[in-house]
Amino acid sequence: MSIELEEIAEFLKQHHPFDLLPDEEINALPKRLTARYFRAGTKVLSPEEQCLHLYIIRTGGTETRDPNGQLLARLSEGECFGVRAMFRNGKAANNITTLEDSLCYLLPEKDFHGLADKYPQFKYFFAQMGGDRLRSGMQLLESRDDDQLKLMSVKVADLIARDLVSIDKSATILEAGKLMSKERVSCLLVTEGEDHVAGIMTDRDLRNRVVAQGRSYDDPITEIMTANPISIHPDDYAFDALLTMTRHNVRHLPVMKGGKAVGMITTNNLLARQSLSAVYMAGRIGKLTDPADMAKVIKQVPELLSHLIEAGATSQNAGHIVTTLSDAATVRLLQLAEEKFGPPPVPYVWVAGGSQGRQEQTALSDQDNCLIIDDTYDPEQHSDWFKALAEFVCDGLNTVGYVYCPGEMMAKTDQWRQPARVWQQYFNKWIEQPEPKALMLCSVWFDLRPIHGTKSLFDNLHRLIVSKARDNRIFQAYMVGNALTHHVPLGFFKNFVMIRGGEHDSTLDLKHNGVVPIVDLARIHALANGVDAVNTFERLHAVKSFPSISKQGASDLLDAFEFISITRLKHQVRQIRRGDAPDNFLHPESLSAFERSHLKDAFSVIKNLQSALENAFGKSGT
Amino acid sequence: MGLRQKIIDSQIYRDFIQRKATGPLRTYYDIPPADPSRSVMDTEFIALDLETTGLDPKRDEIVSLGWVIIRQLGVDFSSCEHVLVRPKRELSESSVVVHHIFDSDVANAPDIGTALEHLLPQMAGRVLISHHAPIELGFLGQACKRCFGAPLQIPTVDTLVLALRDLHRSGQPMKSGALKLDNLRRSHNLPPFRAHNALSDAIAASGLFLAQIAKRDPKGELELNRILR
Repeated sequence: MSIELEEIAEFLKQHHPFDLLPDEEINALPKRLTARYFRAGTKVLSPEEQCLHLYIIRTGGTETRDPNGQLLARLSEGECFGVRAMFRNGKAANNITTLEDSLCYLLPEKDFHGLADKYPQFKYFFAQMGGDRLRSGMQLLESRDDDQLKLMSVKVADLIARDLVSIDKSATILEAGKLMSKERVSCLLVTEGEDHVAGIMTDRDLRNRVVAQGRSYDDPITEIMTANPISIHPDDYAFDALLTMTRHNVRHLPVMKGGKAVGMITTNNLLARQSLSAVYMAGRIGKLTDPADMAKVIKQVPELLSHLIEAGATSQNAGHIVTTLSDAATVRLLQLAEEKFGPPPVPYVWVAGGSQGRQEQTALSDQDNCLIIDDTYDPEQHSDWFKALAEFVCDGLNTVGYVYCPGEMMAKTDQWRQPARVWQQYFNKWIEQPEPKALMLCSVWFDLRPIHGTKSLFDNLHRLIVSKARDNRIFQAYMVGNALTHHVPLGFFKNFVMIRGGEHDSTLDLKHNGVVPIVDLARIHALANGVDAVNTFERLHAVKSFPSISKQGASDLLDAFEFISITRLKHQVRQIRRGDAPDNFLHPESLSAFERSHLKDAFSVIKNLQSALENAFGKSGT
Repeated sequence: MGLRQKIIDSQIYRDFIQRKATGPLRTYYDIPPADPSRSVMDTEFIALDLETTGLDPKRDEIVSLGWVIIRQLGVDFSSCEHVLVRPKRELSESSVVVHHIFDSDVANAPDIGTALEHLLPQMAGRVLISHHAPIELGFLGQACKRCFGAPLQIPTVDTLVLALRDLHRSGQPMKSGALKLDNLRRSHNLPPFRAHNALSDAIAASGLFLAQIAKRDPKGELELNRILR
């Protein structure tokens, strides 16, 4: 090979994932390339445009935006675009525009696939990017043969992309900025002494705490860093990192082992590796201003769910992640409402009930929510503001895809938009003078979780509910009566009792006859024992040590809940994959004999614990 | 453009010299030249550089040739070629210092006739790109005359001339070295080349050419006419 082509080979060797290829392949590559030059601001690719090459940026930089104009990535020297096109028959998926004058090397599609087929590690790198179907509205049309990363099986340690860049806490902001620029990192670890971690500093801090506040660059970094950052262990799964980031809304996590930092992972690490990212979706929702645009993101939830289940997520994990997204949409709509109608006249808290409250949402759910307003609320002055807010958010959620609650258990209903004292009266009445019908309707209000606003308003009310419910046997008995109205579909000889006739002939309703009875059981045991958790798994774990349910009974119920939930989710994923709308109606024949017998076991666990409950609390109220 | 050059570039002159040409040069003239009213996007170019024993085409000789072909405004690296040429006379010390090609390197290399036989089909129907084209045109013309009895006519884009036009248009004072290939490349955000030989300079000129075209018309709909020498 001649010297000048050697320079191109050298360039490729310095960049991932070309560095994974053996020398003879790299050396053969330059001959297959074409160079093209684009002025800054040139649109290189547009969605659906033919793209028969992988573009490798030699100099310059580009910006990737999805068809809706949402920024997905900024790429620079050594990075590639046109990756998606390689996996969708040479059709570009996104808009690529140059930010600077750029020289690109183009690798023909055929050569790209030649390498990808021969070198799995090379393909793996791109499959993750190319398989990132969530980023486009075209997911279902695309091929599905690319290897999905087993999110549950990759350890955090495997995600650490590069050596940690750290700086002593005595450094100034200017020094830190220079180091970040030199090392091209978005985050620094701030250390004290040898390897004690004092904090982390990110480019976001530079923007928000330095530039935006007009702070001097000579100030010490300790002024702007985040002290005692949330961290993660190298042996944790990538999935845990994803959850931690989503929950705390952070983009960088130091990886700590035995009190020492061993690396840093960023959302980018996860995005590059992980095709479908709830973090990404939640972040995107947080930037949108139109519910119709949010709907486009939420529309991808079934796809997200499919990937999670296929990657081996538990139903609890899946529920958490999916709920995180409806939380994100709710919070965003509330922010927008506050921008539109001005700041709240008195404090309030927006509270989710039902499956969102319990963090157990699946594909798509309807909305259950309410507003608790501070007692300084004056209907004369303030009711218009709160009505406007509630209507804005509930209507917005409906547009986004969380349809109106058929029972009108929503903040836009006047009854469920009240000051704290009225809510106390409601709960006093429900608990002290229960009426079966009313109780059945308001069971969603016993699974509350604050989403946005002044959380103490919720805490005070919740404490009252928990303490009152624990002490009131009559109320508990009524709740039991309600819970027992959901029968499990098992006959006397442990055969399935299926739905007869109609649209869902010969199926089992996994939701109403499987999931709901367990949720009800968990709620009763939690309320009876003063447990303040609302998530079914957490409730069951918490009640293990109480006498109302045997330890074995709680463990069995946990297993049954997971098994029924995951069977239901897998059933829904199969439907999504077929292009059907997901539902809860399962044909038992679609399961293996082994699964069927497990399902029967799970149902009999519920049946046994329902009987035990009936004996413990006495049947009444029905 | 002077009258003499107009004549040299004319179809009449081309018909005239074609009759005199022999061997591969005659075949070269059988293929019509690139149409100057075509867009640059639809035109094929050959970026070429050569190294010589000196600067006088009449006295000095070519020692190496490097070229690469540009199609649809993309530099096709698969077309890269680098050919060493065995000169008739021994290499002088002063020229070896410049191009680092030694007698021992070219001892088994083909002579200029054989090299041209390889190059001419690559040039047929294409437009030559060179940084300071008089050198390439002068040496290739002389070689063609000597080997195949007629001069070489080829539509040519001189990246140095394009750069000069850009500089004039910008109205900025010219810095020393501003027209050097490396400096021009840097000003267009193109990567530096460490190596210097005929092929690397041909590739370097091809990149500069793409940048110069992109600056004039990002879509490449520009007529070839507008950029010819």
